[in-house]
Amino acid sequence: MRTPHLVDDIAEVLVSEDQLRHKVAELGARLSADYASRPLTLVSVLKGSLPFMADLMRAITIPLTLDLMEVSSYGGAVTQTSGLVRILKDLSASIEGKDVVIVEDIIDTGLTLNYLMRYLRGKNPQSLKICALLDKPARRLVDIDIDYRGFSIPDRFVIGYGLDYAEFYRNLPFIGVLRPEVYGAS
Amino acid sequence: MSAVVGPDVGGITRMSQPTTTASSAAERITTRNRRRQERAAEGPRFAHESEAELARILDFYRVRWEYEPRTFPVLWNLDGQVVESFSPDFYLPDVDLWVELTTLRQSLVRKKNRKLRRMRELYPMVRLKLFYARDFRALMLKYGRLELAGSFIGIDGQVMPGAGIGRVGASTPDVARSDPAAPAADDDLDP
Repeated sequence: MRTPHLVDDIAEVLVSEDQLRHKVAELGARLSADYASRPLTLVSVLKGSLPFMADLMRAITIPLTLDLMEVSSYGGAVTQTSGLVRILKDLSASIEGKDVVIVEDIIDTGLTLNYLMRYLRGKNPQSLKICALLDKPARRLVDIDIDYRGFSIPDRFVIGYGLDYAEFYRNLPFIGVLRPEVYGAS
Repeated sequence: MSAVVGPDVGGITRMSQPTTTASSAAERITTRNRRRQERAAEGPRFAHESEAELARILDFYRVRWEYEPRTFPVLWNLDGQVVESFSPDFYLPDVDLWVELTTLRQSLVRKKNRKLRRMRELYPMVRLKLFYARDFRALMLKYGRLELAGSFIGIDGQVMPGAGIGRVGASTPDVARSDPAAPAADDDLDP
């Protein structure tokens, strides 16, 4: 892979910093209202959700606890050794009887989240909801009910605000579309 | 002639007479079951490498699938005979979704799109997801397997008749189409 360039490699800005800020504030307000009478547990899925999680938790005005998970992805190094999706980092504390919201950066096929939902349901939370910043419905293979949706986006390859290509571009402060020539398509 | 213990069927041991006819029928059943087990052991023979790759992805995420389990008639002649049918590539029973991969170039998918329209008219309750070449390429990009995407698209990933692509570990024990007598006329065999 050639050296990534954070300006030249971006075809267009799909969601600006301003739009992100407003949407995160809106989602934070909704979550604060919906969980006003009960403690909330946010579970973020590494690594792409980190910036969204960091901003969202600060937009929520009620008491909450935080946990992190990491799930192996198809095509990664772990794929070749196990052949099955695996939890790379499990929850640090029990979620039994708790009201849990999974915080995701993007939902496209729904395969990872489908697996994660089944896994977390097995831990008997009081409730389990999904908050996703981006929804790419064109790519969906498994239906997922998104309780808190940020933006529904078209079928483009997006990077930034946690989303990567080959682990780069996560630190962009906006959601951008990657130039096709960067990943070898014309 | 003494009675013998017959095959164990669903936990109930039946008694039967060892006649020539029964013996032949039992042999046929045994042969059929053996073939079915052999098919299950080796997995389905995929028509296109992209199908094998999708099966691997579904296996990875532990989503159950069946390969071409059913053929849907979509066109009949005046005599009522089926002249065109459609067999979606995958059925995902847990989410009740049919998936069709069309890795042909966009300009060549007209015929398949026509079949899909017919399918949706005739079977409105069937949930069918179509993956075009560009969708599959994007999926490969998502999983960092772009180097493979080119070989999965168009005729490059196609398999010559009788030389299907096997897979590791079958999700379903029997991958034969549910209706073996279903018409093959103009069946959907293109990738």
